[in-house]
Amino acid sequence: MNMVKVYSINNCPWCDKVKKYLKSRQVEYVECNIENDEAALAECQALTGDEAVPVITADGKEYVLGFDKGKIDALLGL
Amino acid sequence: MPTEKKRIQKDIVIIGAGMAGLTAALYAGRMNLSVLVLENALVGGQIANATGIENYPGLPNVAGKDLIATVQQQAESFGAVVDEFDMIEKVSLQEERKIVETKSCIYEAGSVIIASGMERRKLPLPEERKYAGKGVHYCELCDGHLYQDKVIAVMGGGNAAVDAANFLTKYARKLYLLHRSQLRADESSQEKLRSNAKVEILLETNVVALKGEKQLESVEVLDKATGTKKELAVDGIFVNIGVTPNTDMFKEDIELAADGRIKAGEDCRTNVPGVFAAGDVRYKEVRQLTTAAADGTTAAILAEKYLAQIRKGK
Repeated sequence: MNMVKVYSINNCPWCDKVKKYLKSRQVEYVECNIENDEAALAECQALTGDEAVPVITADGKEYVLGFDKGKIDALLGL
Repeated sequence: MPTEKKRIQKDIVIIGAGMAGLTAALYAGRMNLSVLVLENALVGGQIANATGIENYPGLPNVAGKDLIATVQQQAESFGAVVDEFDMIEKVSLQEERKIVETKSCIYEAGSVIIASGMERRKLPLPEERKYAGKGVHYCELCDGHLYQDKVIAVMGGGNAAVDAANFLTKYARKLYLLHRSQLRADESSQEKLRSNAKVEILLETNVVALKGEKQLESVEVLDKATGTKKELAVDGIFVNIGVTPNTDMFKEDIELAADGRIKAGEDCRTNVPGVFAAGDVRYKEVRQLTTAAADGTTAAILAEKYLAQIRKGK
């Protein structure tokens, strides 16, 4: 599986919850902060057509927007 | 075939990981009880998004998430377990052994403390669903960044609304504060907002319609004094029009007040033995962080006494 990416912003309780969940399941991920990184912002927009976060993706095609444990588990095969 | 859920025994299950729930967990953990705290949304509840809390004794100015993280660590240091990922599906509270069923487990407990708090009231317009997340928002910290250099409206007149408006001015090109009556927020917050040149405050004003093709493009507002309507071009509206108690799940088991909060006195006891209500979800006049912590304390101590009596009677 490709490295999991979490698109986030600086102050975002739901982004924090997603990251805590991934850590609790020992899923390694790369955080892409769309407020600090223009390339990450462009990637996120290309993926979802929007700037809403958190966004979780493994392959850059399928993604989950927001914290939804069931959908994240299904996406990442947890 | 679905797998059978695991059954787990606890002394106390606490529903909600805000200030009341986590304080109850801290106290119950210190009394050597086995404690589980379940949270369906965000640990911290309403203060998870608060940027600067100035009225919690001993802490002159603290971010909500930092304060709540400390209380959670305190609770966990005494053995309480906080699960913010499993979702509660249903409860059954009237028997001596209380049942709290989540997506993955069935918890049986001698006592349940309900500290499920409140959630933001939705904008009461039929178009709300169409624009939810597409111009209509409830969390300025989460979604404010979407409106860099754009026109934002904030709806509401209490502290939460005015604080949200002050926060959003860092993104907005222009910001409207719309409220149906007069502002009730602290004078210092109002003054900060009024002194910002980007801000236009429209009081005695109702939002009566949302417009836009796919994304919100404008809101129609009614001036209550003159009865005239006008359209304001806005890219997003952040709604802060009060809160509603998270008690739907308990209405079959527990007596509720007319406004949906749980009926319980200062001892936090509900009408069902062994079930306590703590924090904003309890029907009471004053709802502050300090009173939530006080409720959590009371509920945990009396839950421990209740459990001791039950054990003694056997």
